[in-house]
Amino acid sequence: MPFIQLYGIYIVLHGHLSPGGGFSGGAIFGASLVLLAVSFNLEVGARQISEDVSSILESGGALGFVLTGLVSVAVGGHFLANRAAGFPMGEAGELFSSGAIMIITVFLGFKVASTIVSFFFHIIEGED
Amino acid sequence: MGLEQHFPALIIAILFSIAFLSPILYRWARKASAPALLVSLSLALVMAISLLIQVHQGGEIYYHMGGWEPPYGVEFKVDYFRAYMLLVVLAVSLWIMVYALKDLQHELKIGMLGWYYSLYALLVGSMAGIAMTNDLFNLFVLMEICAISACAIISIKEDRACLEASFKYLILSAMGTGCFLLGVAMLYMVTGQFNYDLVNQALPVAVEQYPNNMFAASALFIVAFGTKAALFPLHVWLPDAHASAPSPSSAMLSGIVIKIYAFALFIMFYQLFPRPLLDSIPLNEIVLWLATAGIMFGSIFAMVQVDIKKMLAYSSIGQIGYVFLGIGLDDTIALTGGFYHLLVHALMKSMLFMAAGVIIYSTGVRQIKQLAGVGQVLPVTMIAFTIGAASMIGIPGTGGLISKWYLALGALEIGRPFFVVIILASSLLNAVYYMPIVVNAFMYQEKFEHVAKPVPRQMLIPLLFGVAAIIFFGVVPGPTLDLLEYAIGLLF
Amino acid sequence: MEMLIKVLHNYYYMAAILLFIIGMHTMLTHSNLIKKVIAMNIMDTSVFLLFVAVGYTYGGQAPIVQEGKEVLYINPLPSSLMLTGIVVAISITAYALSLIVKIYRYYGTVDYDEICLIRSQE
Repeated sequence: MPFIQLYGIYIVLHGHLSPGGGFSGGAIFGASLVLLAVSFNLEVGARQISEDVSSILESGGALGFVLTGLVSVAVGGHFLANRAAGFPMGEAGELFSSGAIMIITVFLGFKVASTIVSFFFHIIEGED
Repeated sequence: MGLEQHFPALIIAILFSIAFLSPILYRWARKASAPALLVSLSLALVMAISLLIQVHQGGEIYYHMGGWEPPYGVEFKVDYFRAYMLLVVLAVSLWIMVYALKDLQHELKIGMLGWYYSLYALLVGSMAGIAMTNDLFNLFVLMEICAISACAIISIKEDRACLEASFKYLILSAMGTGCFLLGVAMLYMVTGQFNYDLVNQALPVAVEQYPNNMFAASALFIVAFGTKAALFPLHVWLPDAHASAPSPSSAMLSGIVIKIYAFALFIMFYQLFPRPLLDSIPLNEIVLWLATAGIMFGSIFAMVQVDIKKMLAYSSIGQIGYVFLGIGLDDTIALTGGFYHLLVHALMKSMLFMAAGVIIYSTGVRQIKQLAGVGQVLPVTMIAFTIGAASMIGIPGTGGLISKWYLALGALEIGRPFFVVIILASSLLNAVYYMPIVVNAFMYQEKFEHVAKPVPRQMLIPLLFGVAAIIFFGVVPGPTLDLLEYAIGLLF
Repeated sequence: MEMLIKVLHNYYYMAAILLFIIGMHTMLTHSNLIKKVIAMNIMDTSVFLLFVAVGYTYGGQAPIVQEGKEVLYINPLPSSLMLTGIVVAISITAYALSLIVKIYRYYGTVDYDEICLIRSQE
């Protein structure tokens, strides 16, 4: 279980260096929680991530995306600008390079994972 | 200077933010969610007005997302025509939202209101984006957001009819989007660009070597936008979807969502394809004849309906045919008439659906035969319905006449009087199915049978505002028409 | 003969169009709702295949920077755009499937003809 999650986090963080990025990494992370729920009891899965937290993560992820774009507006560049807005850029090929893309990818990973988890629980629990 | 130049992106950003924030707000701060949505819609409207003023002073505005120039980045463009469309979308959606706040508590389950606000904000945000975008792939993504949120605000009222209707709408809409994406692929294969202006420049060269791609792309675009905007043979999803949805959703869908796709088709034809290529393929003829068939069949089917919302939905099919008739006639005056009809019909049809919603809220009656005498208990609502019906028929003094007049003038100007006959015949058919409701509502001799709940004032004020707006646009059409004629003249 | 050589040379495009037609036909004619959703997925996937195939250049490598060498890369633009497209298609599939779950709960069947029959009797 932690291996799958670690792999998912790795794909999310290296989104700008190797294939992957927010979508696929978040999907893997979310799938790990769903796998937990499917293989064990539903209660075990529901205890891992409660509905409140998942709802906050979901909205928070999307809001983080928009806020990153707005930050660049506040600084003076265009919406969602990258180098022009002063985000920290590093060397190409390092982990912390290409400022805004990584921040956006992390938020996206949160949102995709929480979406997959809440979708699964809604559909499963709605069958009564 | 300052914040004003970022307004194109800020409109969408604010609407999407409130869409993401609504579920959280609804869960923890229930009282604040509805005012937050209203505030953000009004902010977006103010920004759109400011954009129109900016375009008036400075010319067209091009906004590059992230500062990347095209072809590397996504571009938003605001000129007169798009600013007009943006204003229509945002104003009408704010107006419907005021009505919706009260009506929704009656129609939806109690936990779903937060999600409805979120979907509504997504829908309005994506339509504002479709109005502003200048990039084909961005158009695809925004079209998908619009399709999903439009289907979702139908199926959020979970009863039997609306689920099936929403599924049908989703499948046909997905087919339309698939065809659209294939058309974009056809264009991308020969030009290698996604931006409208760059494709426009690259197409004449590309068509020399690969003429078939453009034929395929234009045919696919007509199918795609026709499915989503209910052009004649592809309209089959519309009656069920609009009739079984909650009333504010019906008003929103019938009023704006189908119009934005007619607008997108117009942009495809006139800003994407270069003018000589458009003249060489008879695209306008195809759209013209399909629009005529739509007008006729919409009215004919509406006459035989027994449920009031289904009748209004079939009437929508006929009325969107007018907008496509304007596109098909390919003349400045006809296009002005067609797009003025877009504005007027958005007002009329939304008001009619809202009036029907008030009737259903108050009396629970949906069948037309049982509506006899309802004017005795709901006078304000029926007056609003009468004005809306008069505008649909095209009685002078209301906005409906102006658009039909301009369409007829345009048809005469290019020398095809057959379409004037079509317009007159359809006006007559409109009268055939609207007048009985109005006459029966007021002139019924006996007492009205059903019990009428009192209607909250918040639901009646939007109706009065709609009446005022329709009469305003019928009596003083001058400024709007001048704006439209100037905007369309720029594209020729 | 020339036409046949041209068609065989561009077999990616032919496959994509064939899949598109199969998907569209199935979506419109088969009556099982789940088949419609699967066919919609096939249709969208075929368009993504077409896009990615357009971006291919002969002898190109995957567009990840390799140190020091001068390598011909394929066009990365369509591939990255299709990433977004795939996510969009997934979200539509997810929404359609959840609608099917609800429809099954209300109607008891996932066959479209039977649903129409039930609707017409109400």
